[in-house]
Amino acid sequence: MTRGPNRRFSRRTWLRAATGAALALPFLPSLAPRSVRADERSFPKRLVLMYTPNGVIHEAWWPGNVISEREFSLGPIHEPLQNHKSRLLFLSGLDLASAEAGPGGPHQRGIGSLFTNTSLGTGEFMDGCGQTAGWANGISVDQRVASVIGSETPVSSLQLGVRATENDVQGRIAYAGPGQPLPPLNSPRDTYNRVFNRFFAPSSSDLLAEQRSVLDAVNQEFAALSGQLSAADRQTLEAHQTLVRDLERRLALNTPTVGGCVLPEIPDALDEDSETDMARIGELQVDLLASAFACDVTRVATFQVSTALNHIRYPWVESLEEGHALSHAGESNTEATEQLIRRARWHASLVARLFDRLALMPEGEGSVLDNTLFVWGNEVSMGTTHSHVNMPFLMAGGSWAFETGRYLQYADGTAHANLLLAVLHAMGVPDETFGIPDFCSGPLSI
Amino acid sequence: MAPPPFSRSLLALPLLALGQLACSKKDDPKPAPGVEQVPICTEAAPAPAPLRLLTRFQYDNAVRDLLGDATNPAAGFPPENEVDGYRTNAAANAAHPLLVERYLNAADAVAARAVKGRLTEVAPCTDTTAPAECGHAFVRSFAARAFRRPPTEKELTPLLGLFDATSSRGYEKSIELVIRTVLQSPQFLYRVDTLGSPAPETGKVALGGYELASRLSFSLWGSMPDTELFDAAAGGRLATPEDVEREARRMIDDPRAANLVRDFSEQWLGLSRLAGLGREGTPIASKQLETSLRDSLDRFIQAAYFGPDGGFQALFSAKGVWVDTHLAGLYGVDAGDGSAPVTLPGARFGLLTQPALMTLLAHPNQTAPVLRGVFVRERILCLPVNPPPPNVNTIPPDPDSRATTRERFKQHTADPGCSGCHAKIDGIGFGFERYDQLGRYRTEENGIAVDESGAILGSGETGLEGGFTTSAELLARIANSRRARDCLATNWYRYTFGRVELREDECSLGQLKARFARSNGDLKELIVALTQTDSFLYRPARPAETGMGSP
Repeated sequence: MTRGPNRRFSRRTWLRAATGAALALPFLPSLAPRSVRADERSFPKRLVLMYTPNGVIHEAWWPGNVISEREFSLGPIHEPLQNHKSRLLFLSGLDLASAEAGPGGPHQRGIGSLFTNTSLGTGEFMDGCGQTAGWANGISVDQRVASVIGSETPVSSLQLGVRATENDVQGRIAYAGPGQPLPPLNSPRDTYNRVFNRFFAPSSSDLLAEQRSVLDAVNQEFAALSGQLSAADRQTLEAHQTLVRDLERRLALNTPTVGGCVLPEIPDALDEDSETDMARIGELQVDLLASAFACDVTRVATFQVSTALNHIRYPWVESLEEGHALSHAGESNTEATEQLIRRARWHASLVARLFDRLALMPEGEGSVLDNTLFVWGNEVSMGTTHSHVNMPFLMAGGSWAFETGRYLQYADGTAHANLLLAVLHAMGVPDETFGIPDFCSGPLSI
Repeated sequence: MAPPPFSRSLLALPLLALGQLACSKKDDPKPAPGVEQVPICTEAAPAPAPLRLLTRFQYDNAVRDLLGDATNPAAGFPPENEVDGYRTNAAANAAHPLLVERYLNAADAVAARAVKGRLTEVAPCTDTTAPAECGHAFVRSFAARAFRRPPTEKELTPLLGLFDATSSRGYEKSIELVIRTVLQSPQFLYRVDTLGSPAPETGKVALGGYELASRLSFSLWGSMPDTELFDAAAGGRLATPEDVEREARRMIDDPRAANLVRDFSEQWLGLSRLAGLGREGTPIASKQLETSLRDSLDRFIQAAYFGPDGGFQALFSAKGVWVDTHLAGLYGVDAGDGSAPVTLPGARFGLLTQPALMTLLAHPNQTAPVLRGVFVRERILCLPVNPPPPNVNTIPPDPDSRATTRERFKQHTADPGCSGCHAKIDGIGFGFERYDQLGRYRTEENGIAVDESGAILGSGETGLEGGFTTSAELLARIANSRRARDCLATNWYRYTFGRVELREDECSLGQLKARFARSNGDLKELIVALTQTDSFLYRPARPAETGMGSP
């Protein structure tokens, strides 16, 4: 990744721009230094993995009027994405094969497998259904990518959520490693603080020097304790110490920018558990994610809307039933079906909002969106069967690696792990396989 | 010069005393007929006790007790990964980038507050001509308290070095930087239970005084040890199980133990799900409803643990309900002055009929026999429930103005594919049919009398099993159930030791259940009894230690 010194905003320049204060538009391309918009051979690549729960109504998910791979109309769920149709890639026929192995209920196995291609551990976990299972048994795609490209940015990866407040296996999609789930930030205020406060607060060299002395001493404390511990405990400390060293390094990074990086307004303090605030939280999280990309604070993110066995209502789209119960309703229940479609359409509108913002950020001849790969998945195929076949996957962007605007229908039983491997390759991580090798036969041809 | 962390002569003491317990039943008074023996765990070593990160609750308490900072800085930390509902689970909670960032932010903020205007309390220095002496004294005493044991010289060196290297920036700044360092050090952030002396002959290692002090403080208060515990550890007065029990009894009446019960109950009962409830039938805003219900339940639970008429049976049978003005309005009663529980219309029998639980275990516009039945089986009776087959409609049937909930759910028991599990689930859930989605008592639904009969099936306990006609009968059976009593002990065990029990835990868990039973369900005794288990008093030897005479 090349990022010449002339592509940086100095902290001072950036702050001056930021004090423009309450800007109606989050991104002002005119603020970007000319050099940023100059032609460059290479721009940062970015990855967003999105998760929504409980399966989908397939008739409303997949494209209709399909004439050819490139000629089709969007289903009702994806109507909000009409303006971005040429950037979408529908992928049917993919199975979560690794979710059919191992312990746990179908929701737990599915969410564990979705971005890791692993089965759940046999751990000590008693799930809500009385089955015992552990966490997913491997690193997730986003974290594998972050382990390669994440060191270049102040934050290696962001985990964002919208009412994703179940703190067990059904509430986690990102894994730093086997049995190491990462919690999402569910409050826009928290997201703001993580992305913008620490790394954009004006800091003097005194402060940085202070920080360094403190973290140096902390490092020595790790060493002093480690010698007294068992091998397993030493490993725990080593992993922690690596994070401390990494943080120390990141604090010293100049905040770099691409495109029009403008400090967003501090979001209102919203109640992350409130059904009244939920819609607004979704919008703000998307806006902050776009800003984080604009300012190159991070290049890797997960975005999780609620959790599998949720009891959440969506009153703003007139869905007053609880999410999981709703998903069990059969096709004959037209009211439930319509509610589920309205919910999914709201999810798609968040995607559209993200794309709208990224498309407004110039980068080279195109926009940040052109340098972003987006993957949207679910932990079960449909609520009425809880199966893991023909999973609803939607990709978008990634135009440097994939031809978009297509509906690709793969043979039944194609392993979704192949998609995950193709994503890794597109992100510049040339691994040979991903997750459980038995369920991954090679990168999906897209 | 600080004393070395573990003096060898002191360590001989606990080993002898604990060895005695492990081999003898003499100190157990002869049990009354029918009262169970507390098992002696002679053979097995307890399960491993790996490093455990402080939970948010523990971090906040420790910072408060260490520096007098009661601002709850961990409120901004990411939530713990929960296992079986418990945030204390050790294996599921490793450090991650966000957490490490939050540790940094919290340490900065806490340290700044500690020196700002409070320097003379935190790090007094009367002889201002010798700030280095004051600083070094502070480093030694502060590290000993924050690390919960005397630090080694190797651990002191970086802190003393930091103080000296920054002395040109003034006493206050140097102290602040030391505090920032200590609060991010693993000795503070982790509970380290493994520094005791090895027992060469067995796989069991008796914990040292400081480790027992920490186990006591975290198990009873969710916090660091107090001065008495530190003094007892330093003076060799925290060595035997009797010493541990004596301290536990002293600690159980401290308000910090009440906080611990609150933290446990929140996780045992899943009360975080009270946040963001949507319930039809009340003008009370969601947030206020959550606050009022939580407060009401908390007062009820506190009285069961610490009140004069408390105990396990009271927990499942006491009739009073605490109400504030909001709940008083909702239930149509007079709130009184808030100093005592009130009697709500209709019958109430303990925890399960408390408004908070009945509201939590409900759908927005109706009761939830299934949620209630599953909850009682899993959380109260420790009976696993099978998941529903995927292709069934689990949306509760719409409220019907001509039928009762029971009638609307009858497909569960009419359909042979459902009835196997649902007879077990709904059979219990129907017992709560007189408590609506806001915990209000009703005898009629849509003009039809509410039938609250049901059955407990497949419980494996004679006294629990079989049909009942009223909630009074259902709840009396639970209040007298051995299974429910044991299940509460199991839940405390998981919370306290940070793991779902393994094979190695069997004997310790047996000890806990037996002691709880012998106390006639005294809930304070249950917490004290946790400290008398092998899992509390010992750790397993590491492979390198067995057969070796020194660490």
